[in-house]
Amino acid sequence: MGPNLWMNYGEAVAAILFCIGFTNLLLQTNLIKKIIGLNIMDSAIYLFLAEKGYIAGRVAPIVTDGVTSVEAYINPIPSGLVLTGIVVSVSVSALMLSLTIRLYIRYHTLDLDEIAAQLKKEGR
Amino acid sequence: MDFVCNFPFFSILLSLFSGTICSILPGRAAKIVNRLVITAIAIMSGILLVYLLNTGESFVYWMGHFPAPWGNEIRAGVLEAGMALFFCIIMYLSMAGGAHKLFNEVEESKHNLYYILINLLLSSLLALVYTNDMFTAYVFVEINTISACGLIMIRQVGRTIEAAVRYMIMSLLGSGLLLFGLCIMYDLTGHLLMSNIKESVALLMQNGEYQIPLIVSIALMCIGLCIKSALFPFHAWLPDAYGYSTVSSAAILSSLVSKGYIFLLIKIIYRVIGFDIFNSTRIIDVLFVFGLMGMIFGSLSAIKENDIRRMIAFSSVAQIGYIYMGFGMGTQAGMVASVFHILSHAATKSLLFIAAIGLTEVSGGSRKFIDLTGAGYRNKWAGVAFTAGSLSMVGVPLFSGFISKLLFAQAAVQVEGKMLAALIVLGISTVLNAIYFMKTVIRIYATTGDTAYPNMTFKQMKVHAVVLVFFILLNVILGVSSQPIVDMIEQGLAMFA
Amino acid sequence: MYLILLPIFFPILAGFCLLVCPKKPDRKLLIITTGICLVVTAMLILCTLLSGKQELTLFYLTRTLPIYFKIDEVGILFCLLTVVVFVGAGFFSFVYMTHEQKEKRYYGFYLMVFGVLNALCFAGNLITFYLFFELLTLSSMPLVLHTGSREAIMAGLKYLFYSLCGAYAGLFGIYFLYHNCDTLTFTAGGVLQTTAIAAQGEFLLLTAFVMILGFGVKAGMFPMHAWLPTAHPVAPAPASAVLSAVIVKAGVLALIRVIYYIFGVSFLRGSWVQTAWLILALVTVFMGSMLAYREPVLKKRLAYSTVSQISYILFGLAAMNEEAFTGGLLHVLAHGLIKCTLFLTAGAIIYTTGKTRVDELRGIGKEMPLTIWCYTIVSLGLIGIPPTGGFISKWYLALGGLSGNIGVFGYIGPVVLLLSALLTAGYLLPLTIQGFFPGADYAYASLQKREPHKCMTIPILIMTILSVLIGLFPNILVDYLADFVGTLF
Repeated sequence: MGPNLWMNYGEAVAAILFCIGFTNLLLQTNLIKKIIGLNIMDSAIYLFLAEKGYIAGRVAPIVTDGVTSVEAYINPIPSGLVLTGIVVSVSVSALMLSLTIRLYIRYHTLDLDEIAAQLKKEGR
Repeated sequence: MDFVCNFPFFSILLSLFSGTICSILPGRAAKIVNRLVITAIAIMSGILLVYLLNTGESFVYWMGHFPAPWGNEIRAGVLEAGMALFFCIIMYLSMAGGAHKLFNEVEESKHNLYYILINLLLSSLLALVYTNDMFTAYVFVEINTISACGLIMIRQVGRTIEAAVRYMIMSLLGSGLLLFGLCIMYDLTGHLLMSNIKESVALLMQNGEYQIPLIVSIALMCIGLCIKSALFPFHAWLPDAYGYSTVSSAAILSSLVSKGYIFLLIKIIYRVIGFDIFNSTRIIDVLFVFGLMGMIFGSLSAIKENDIRRMIAFSSVAQIGYIYMGFGMGTQAGMVASVFHILSHAATKSLLFIAAIGLTEVSGGSRKFIDLTGAGYRNKWAGVAFTAGSLSMVGVPLFSGFISKLLFAQAAVQVEGKMLAALIVLGISTVLNAIYFMKTVIRIYATTGDTAYPNMTFKQMKVHAVVLVFFILLNVILGVSSQPIVDMIEQGLAMFA
Repeated sequence: MYLILLPIFFPILAGFCLLVCPKKPDRKLLIITTGICLVVTAMLILCTLLSGKQELTLFYLTRTLPIYFKIDEVGILFCLLTVVVFVGAGFFSFVYMTHEQKEKRYYGFYLMVFGVLNALCFAGNLITFYLFFELLTLSSMPLVLHTGSREAIMAGLKYLFYSLCGAYAGLFGIYFLYHNCDTLTFTAGGVLQTTAIAAQGEFLLLTAFVMILGFGVKAGMFPMHAWLPTAHPVAPAPASAVLSAVIVKAGVLALIRVIYYIFGVSFLRGSWVQTAWLILALVTVFMGSMLAYREPVLKKRLAYSTVSQISYILFGLAAMNEEAFTGGLLHVLAHGLIKCTLFLTAGAIIYTTGKTRVDELRGIGKEMPLTIWCYTIVSLGLIGIPPTGGFISKWYLALGGLSGNIGVFGYIGPVVLLLSALLTAGYLLPLTIQGFFPGADYAYASLQKREPHKCMTIPILIMTILSVLIGLFPNILVDYLADFVGTLF
């Protein structure tokens, strides 16, 4: 366990970051902090993917100097996945932020519990 | 390869493109485009279903003609085509049934936005149903989430925005877990296509390698999809989201969106992990227990509810519990029962939502039970439809709910250790269902002295009434001639393996 | 072949049409339509019964679960009772219902219940039976709810939840049986697989007990009897009559079907289930009579009496021997006719005087002699005094109890039945005594003849005569029963 963990420290960090982000998204009451948690969580996954996709000593699979051996290059798919993932998380963050703005305009607070309390007072 | 094999791809693209087109159309035109697209996809899925039933084999469709480990694939079998067809029917009926309400509740300028969202939702649902690639599935899960969120908040009141935020948060937690599980799986197997992952997983299990990461990955994916489909402890977002959004949204969310995730989970169980491997993990026991708890606590919350829409929403929690209980049995029969319950619940729940709106309309827009007294007389069609839906939920024979309960019970009897628990909870939950649904039915047929609310005649609600009749028919068909459908489900699941 | 469907679906459809008919029809027209429907249904039933044994598979719910109808001896017996009671109470309600609202709804559901009951009698397998058992609860509930008062709604809810809980306990058993039986078709002697008995005997016994409790709810068996005294009195009198006379019998029929046609007597005889069932039945007999004795409101008193009397039948079923079973079936008929008459007389009294408590009814026999005479005659029948119908059934019940295969209950049973008969006399006869002999201080001057309308007295009279006829000529029935009862044991 120990040496494995040390060798794969990148993945370990990613897992820890994922947990941090997850907890933030789940437990923070402040909406902005929640969104930050969301971004930490997503970034942790991208870190994980990037860490998995990288092999020391190899380069991106773009043939420039005539080397065609598979051994010289990394697998490009994880990087591609990271890119796709980033697009998704950007759009989701944007949506969350816009929702936050709407709520803030209506209730003048970013605290989700407080908003819920106000809603209850409105009684609809 | 026959031309028909292009249909899954066509239907996904068609709904995606029509979503784009709707953005430049005015509301009314967007509505027509939307209806046409749904109809076209339904027809295509129907033809595909017939084709698949005739050939008796599923097929794999290479997107862009890249062969297996590199390209992106679509896969269609009987179950996929059947689900696509069913989703289209429910969506069409829900849209038609809630159209007048949409007109009242949503600003005129936003109507075409609504149709964009619906088209996107449909395309993502179809993609979830048809895709053979895990990462594509993830991307469409996110698209599904975003469009569902839009559907919730299209009616702009405080409650819906808050509900949308809560829905987003829970969904993002779920998709984060799903993505993480997916990445670990990718890391372990090196593949993203479902069939390839399955081979690698089988190999790993055979060699006994990487057991813990494999289990962690499966668990993460399962929990992610459970959160997204509102299994019991993760259902906090559900009542507000279903209860306050416009009625078409509520019907579609409860009967289609959550079912899309569940269907993805079925695909993962069969096509990614392998049914036997999945059953050998302890995860099914967890699903079983949470399913049972959902069945009871969902119903208990519904009994306490004083608002008809929220009550129906809470009943969804209980019904989702049924489906997960079927998964938890770990047998083919349990799975068949779950898939049948997906259909049955989709047909019934959207019927209930659409009928409930008819009842609240003749009660001054209030959804409190006290105002609904006698609403069944004021709006006869909605009253009858609500009664039919309730009977189906309670599990009276001749309606779809009875067959799914029968299938669950039949499946439970075959599982030694879980039989008693499943049967007892099934019984308790049915009685609880009966309590709150029959209470409501009696309430809407209780005689009142005189009310200030006007009656609704057939002329005022033609479309609504026709939609309700279709929903009732759908329920009765599922309940009376269930055997061909069950056979089809069995055939489809066999094609999965 | 399809003839068997007519008595089931004709009244259901007629009732449904009546319900959905948007116009508010003329009262006369409504009554004539309902009357014609009732008579036509009765004719159809007679035609069906006369055309001999038939069976019909309507369609398949799932591959192994057909909706299947079959006519057999037990079904015929219950069906005849249903017809007599429904036609009688139907004609009675034509006058009685003038002082209630929403007659269209009443008649609509009344006809539907009629059809559903016929279907129950003809149901050929457990799943068909369950289907119509549920429909019976749902279609009879509006009759309980009819007045729409808060009390009625609460009673309706209570009825609904007790019945549904019971039905689901039954369904629980069906789920399990479905797995352990070759078929769910009713077959004399039972359909349990022998392998299942060997492998899961204990669990099957538990299932049998759960089903007895579940279907016993409808029959008002202790400990789930509480709905009956609440629900029956709040309904309009003719509705209470059919509720008490035939709808609770659906629970009895369910138990006969489950115990004698699915489990089989040989499986249950001598098991703890039989003992428990006997105890429950006897407790109910005694408790029902006691509660009726203490109850001042007439219709409630009659409802408690139903609780007690139905458990006479259940005792007969639980004893599981031929004499007791015959006695049980005879009591089904006797009690059905008698209780219907009693509720109808109560209805007639309420309709003419508006009084509901027994102690307010002094001198009623002087005012409505014919009605109270009928009341007295059938009361004697219920107590079990020869030559009325109740005597012969109780005789067979006691005979069955004493015939000795149920151990100590063979003695306890008849004693309890006897005690309960005394109590029955104690709670039914005061009305007669006070009615005919109001005492010296009664104001004879204010007395007026107010016999109710013919539509009310004739059904009462006919049913009284029938109940006496059963007692006078029991041999026809006993012979008829003897033909098939043997096959069940």
